[in-house]
Amino acid sequence: MLHKNTLSFRIVTRVLGITALLFVLTISGYYYYTRQLIRQAARENAIQLAGNIAGKVAQQLQPMEKIPQMVSASLEMGFFQPDSLKSITKKILQENPAIFGAGVAFEPNILPGRGRFFMPFAFRVGDNIQTAYLGGLDYEYFLMDWYQIPALTGQAYWSEPYFDEGGGNALMITYAVPFYLPNDTGRQLGGVATVDVNLEWLTNIVSEVKIFESGYAFVLSRNGMALTHPDKAMIMNESIFSNAENWNEPLLREIGRDLQQGNSQFRAYNLKDRGQRWIYYQPLPSGNLSLAVVYPDAEMFAPLKRVNTLLVFLILLGLLVMIIGVHNMVSRTARPLVHIAQSAREIASGNFQTPLPDIRSKDELLQLRNAFEYMQQQLELYIARITETTAAKEKIESELRIAREIQMSMIPHSFPPFPDLPQIDLYAVLESAKEVGGDLYDFFQLGEDKFCFAIGDVSGKGVPASLFMAVTRTLLRSIADKYPRPAAIMSELNKSLSLNNDSCMFVTFFLGILDLKTGELAYSNAGHNPPLIITQSGTVSFFPKATAIPLGLMEDFVYPESILTMQDGDKIFAYTDGVSEAENAKQELFGEEAIMSLVQKSTTGDPRQLIQTVKKALEKHVEDFEQSDDITMLSVLYDRRSK
Amino acid sequence: MDVLTEIAWKLRYNYLMRFKVTEMTPSIRLFAILLCCCCIGGSQVRADSLVFSTHWLPQAQFAGYYMAQEKGFYKEAGIELELIHPPANVNALTYLSEGKADIVSLFLVTALDARLQGLPLVQIAQMSEHSAILFVAKRGGRVQTIDDFGGSKIGVWKSGFAEVPKAMVQARGIRAEWVPVLSSVNLFLMDGIDLMTVMWYNEYNAIYLSGVNEEELHTFFLSDYGYDIPEDGLYVSAQTLREKKEALTAFTAASLKGWQYAAAHPDETIAVVLERMRQAKVPASEAHQAWMLEKIIELQGFRESSDKDISLPKEVYDKTLRILLPDPEGSSPPAFDDFVKTLSLPSK
Repeated sequence: MLHKNTLSFRIVTRVLGITALLFVLTISGYYYYTRQLIRQAARENAIQLAGNIAGKVAQQLQPMEKIPQMVSASLEMGFFQPDSLKSITKKILQENPAIFGAGVAFEPNILPGRGRFFMPFAFRVGDNIQTAYLGGLDYEYFLMDWYQIPALTGQAYWSEPYFDEGGGNALMITYAVPFYLPNDTGRQLGGVATVDVNLEWLTNIVSEVKIFESGYAFVLSRNGMALTHPDKAMIMNESIFSNAENWNEPLLREIGRDLQQGNSQFRAYNLKDRGQRWIYYQPLPSGNLSLAVVYPDAEMFAPLKRVNTLLVFLILLGLLVMIIGVHNMVSRTARPLVHIAQSAREIASGNFQTPLPDIRSKDELLQLRNAFEYMQQQLELYIARITETTAAKEKIESELRIAREIQMSMIPHSFPPFPDLPQIDLYAVLESAKEVGGDLYDFFQLGEDKFCFAIGDVSGKGVPASLFMAVTRTLLRSIADKYPRPAAIMSELNKSLSLNNDSCMFVTFFLGILDLKTGELAYSNAGHNPPLIITQSGTVSFFPKATAIPLGLMEDFVYPESILTMQDGDKIFAYTDGVSEAENAKQELFGEEAIMSLVQKSTTGDPRQLIQTVKKALEKHVEDFEQSDDITMLSVLYDRRSK
Repeated sequence: MDVLTEIAWKLRYNYLMRFKVTEMTPSIRLFAILLCCCCIGGSQVRADSLVFSTHWLPQAQFAGYYMAQEKGFYKEAGIELELIHPPANVNALTYLSEGKADIVSLFLVTALDARLQGLPLVQIAQMSEHSAILFVAKRGGRVQTIDDFGGSKIGVWKSGFAEVPKAMVQARGIRAEWVPVLSSVNLFLMDGIDLMTVMWYNEYNAIYLSGVNEEELHTFFLSDYGYDIPEDGLYVSAQTLREKKEALTAFTAASLKGWQYAAAHPDETIAVVLERMRQAKVPASEAHQAWMLEKIIELQGFRESSDKDISLPKEVYDKTLRILLPDPEGSSPPAFDDFVKTLSLPSK
């Protein structure tokens, strides 16, 4: 339905192109800025989430620090006696549900009579609180990190978290504070006061965090160990540092070290086959723990991608609707154009009454239709006029044809003309450039022994020239009868033609009267091209140039006369300027020299052959170029020997 | 979280809760029953049935034995092998003395020391070829060169293996404070000590995997100071050697085959090691075990092209003896041939 060469196709493709481009630009811009916004929001979310968890850790763990600090201080000041510690630790547990165990571990042999190990300890078993003295060869507590580190560094210490199977396989952490007792030289390390805190609440909070599809939060120990992780196999097995090796991502190691420095940051890292991930990490306020929030870059934009897919689908649908709509609209608008085109064809084929389509809209189409209607009317008028003119022209042409026939009938054209006059052979042609022409030739017998021939060319062409020619021809016949000599005939003819010659037409004229017995040729030339005489011996020469003016110009002009004697076998070749001045396409004239050389080559032939030869050469010269002037040739052979 | 701290904590509570047999998991129960059989049965055990105890918890240090077991090399050799690990607080030596194991892997110094104490054990194969022990100190800390050792606090394993580093320090006339530690590196990380003896394949990497970069550490390899005493070897009682020599030879050959396999297939081996560690509920880090396997195989000199040499050179024996007995007056150490009974294995 949507052909390539229709207006609607062109409009639809252009509109579609522009609209699609606009959509692509808009969607891209929208996508880019939304991504920025989402990234920003996710960032803020992660920071807020970490802040919340940090707040809870501060709330839960910081008060825990106070208890061993207080126990330590009380021991140092002598408020607590070693024997009372069992009940004190029990009391601590009773008062602090968050504490799983509490104890005071003394340095080996520091208390007289207590032996190498002395560690009163209270701990929970289910809902009950039990107490015991820890220590022994199986359990040399002063080699434990929680004892050794505060003992040797003199600093309170949050232990690395550990799983405690006795405590229900929960993640535990111990806070240990060293205390000092007086001795002989001053004071010495007395031991370490501890509380064991269950971290299950923290792991629960953190484990529940879910960011996008697979994003998560996790807690790390000071050594980078994963305390929580969606992949359970990681927990207490892999650290951020070991995963840096496992996953070959040195940035994780950098992050781990940055965390150990107490820094927090937002960063991106790449995991092979898992793509880019964002991580926000910050130290937690207590317990020497850190929190990291991780989420994959791709998932962050999953909802956006869904929205985009929907949007693209809707846009495509919209574009489709638009294509159909525009196509229909343009087709409907353009349909009258098709009708107009059909009508135009009909009109072109001559059916001017073909109805044009009705157009209701008042737009350009209506203008076009009206213009067409006007054209239709004008064409009809014009054609009617043309028909009339053509008819008139045809009439003129038919009249001209008749005129031509009449004109042609005025000159003799049966050859050989005089079977009774064997001395004379004659041939002539006259080809008018138009229907009727102004050239003429004539020949006739004058009395017993004389033969008159003439050739002429009227100035101008067409009907006026033909009329002037007819007049000349008629006058010639009547005058020749009365005057026997060429000069007299010419003078009389001139006189008659000059009379009332308002249109100042004239005619060049050559007239000769041949004495058939003697071969004496008396001739007179009124401005005509000099003919050629071809002797029997083969010499060719022009007649002398005319010294007299053409006929019809000066009434009283006296025309001279010359005499020439023709021998048997001599020929005369006369022509009009239509021969010598015949032009070809290159505007080259045929020329008198060409005529001369042609004639020289065919001295032996009879007049007909001579004229045919010249005619052929002339046609060859002119080729298809339009004939501009009448062509007339006449040749007379005088030979008394012919019987 | 290091191994010993966790075990110690387990003990701390288990100790209080009284260990009840009824609470044992089926596998532990089976193990206990088997142990009883070994103790009671003693000589009644078939000659091709052997119990082998490593000297530490499951880790890549023993990967070759695991792979020999996994790939059925022991079975092929006609041996019914039971592979056991002592708890962290039990010395594998006691398994040997109590007859709980036919073969134990031990450090050379530990084994020779036990022999000097009168335990009739002999070496059947020296697996490791070089010492893996080194001291580490933090750059910028108190100790920068070996001359700074004097007066420093040096962490050293409570559980033994400390003879050689102690000998090295003492031989230089350095007085240092030796601080016994279990196996955690936390005391070192928290600057409770200036120096620590570590295993190249184990604690050194544990320190690295706790976030300390290599360039932040000074290392003092014992081998660089003339104390290249190799560690891991296989030991049996003199009596077992007499009674089960054939089976022991088959075991050793199959073990070497296991090691060759582990060397050629590190990824598969690490997966097996990690699985065994998980079953034993020992913290298991893939990166750490990969490091350990690589270094252990280096130390044991496994090469695909040639047979591994399992003999102990006499000069190394003599040197070890000198470390353990700096003053030989009045003592009668065993002759080299009495202690070193390297099994002659059929060559490939």
